[in-house]
Amino acid sequence: MARYGMLIDTTKCIGCYTCRLACQRQNGLEPDEAFVRFEDRETGTYPQVGVEHVPLQCMHCEDAPCTKVCPTGAAHIGTDGIVQVDQGRCIGCLYCMAACPYQVRVRNSKTGAVDKCRFCHVSNYENGTEMCTCVTACPTHARIFGDLDDPDCELVKEINRTHAAPIAGDLTKSKVFYVR
Amino acid sequence: MTFEPIWSGIIACYLFLGGLGGGAFATSAFLAWRHPEAVNMRKIGHVIAPIVVIVGLVLLMFDAKAGLYNPLRFALLLTNFGSVMTWGVVILALFVIVALIAMILDLTKRRVPWGIELAGSILGICVAIYTGCLLGVCNTFPLWNNALLPILFLVSAMSTGMASVLLAGVFKHPEEFNRVGVFKKFHFCFPCIEMLLVASLMFITVTNSTAGYESVMALLAGKYAVAFWVLFVIVGLVGPTILETWMLFFSPKEFEESRKAHAISAMSDIGVLIGGFMLRLLVLIAALPITMVTPFVL
Repeated sequence: MARYGMLIDTTKCIGCYTCRLACQRQNGLEPDEAFVRFEDRETGTYPQVGVEHVPLQCMHCEDAPCTKVCPTGAAHIGTDGIVQVDQGRCIGCLYCMAACPYQVRVRNSKTGAVDKCRFCHVSNYENGTEMCTCVTACPTHARIFGDLDDPDCELVKEINRTHAAPIAGDLTKSKVFYVR
Repeated sequence: MTFEPIWSGIIACYLFLGGLGGGAFATSAFLAWRHPEAVNMRKIGHVIAPIVVIVGLVLLMFDAKAGLYNPLRFALLLTNFGSVMTWGVVILALFVIVALIAMILDLTKRRVPWGIELAGSILGICVAIYTGCLLGVCNTFPLWNNALLPILFLVSAMSTGMASVLLAGVFKHPEEFNRVGVFKKFHFCFPCIEMLLVASLMFITVTNSTAGYESVMALLAGKYAVAFWVLFVIVGLVGPTILETWMLFFSPKEFEESRKAHAISAMSDIGVLIGGFMLRLLVLIAALPITMVTPFVL
């Protein structure tokens, strides 16, 4: 069993939204349904200033608040630690959205069900496209996907080298790591 | 970083109506025990209780769109007993059944057994506490994640339940309204307790974390300050307390039973209802998660 995770290097991110668009295309999402949400932060003191772009998405928490509150069991931790939403079980009560501290879950305006970043488990297990187009589409290679339990994979090496950390520390044992 | 509240108006209505229904049933049970002569007001409570809760649940079903399009999915609500909402569904279902039985018995002029009154009251209290726990278990929202909130919602639920029965009573059956003195004194206590609870909630949450501080400040001095102070504190708590203090303790008995006094009581009860709704709405929309302030704004 793998324990999938991701690294996002905000020092490389230029805020072009390519990852978001690639994700929407790969997963056939509605135009208003984005799994990647961008936050911009101004840094530095005038005149040495900069803007940091922080792409946020489902953190695939090991301690996921959404799966605890979901009354129907639609939100659950599935294969390889990927937090999933069973679209056929979701009633759209939005309890998971209210409980998620990262505000990265979205409601599909057509079906009313809640959805979010899937780490593209669908394509992986059903012979679709390769996993996580957001990773390959990024023009600055700001994203790395891999198995956190495999010490030889690029993801783990980069996390160790850059001292990347989850966005909110150990709040929910998130599996998306950020270089800030 | 901006934070959009996920739940607002409709869920606030549902939390409000759930509490109101539970409170109205408990009110009827209290009237049956302490004021058995106030038959019509007791009936009013028994009618309000199931109807408002059912209205609240229907609102919720319309809000849960994926369920609305596939109604069979609502059966899945009983599958995850780790979720507070699942417990809520069970409690609400039992409450609605008991409240409907009581309503039918009372309207067909049969005696409501004390066992039904007791069971309904306990379930009503559970419904009210559940509305607080529903928010309380979201452990990254300091304004919700504390033990005071369910108690605050319970007190507010009892207060609004009583206010709804009194409001209907003062217009439909003023002669009974004049005779339920003990009940009115109980009703008077609740906004006072609520004020203490709200003050405690603000004091504790403001020191909890940056997110707690921001949530409380949004209510006290930020973008929700006008709604908080005017509609909740003045209209919903202080106003009714002053009016009721005057009515209960400082006005002569002849005046207390006059039309003018009834209008003042009605105003006080409407204030309590507005305050009850505003409490739910403000608690829903002002809560910020701890992630929204720590990594970005600082």
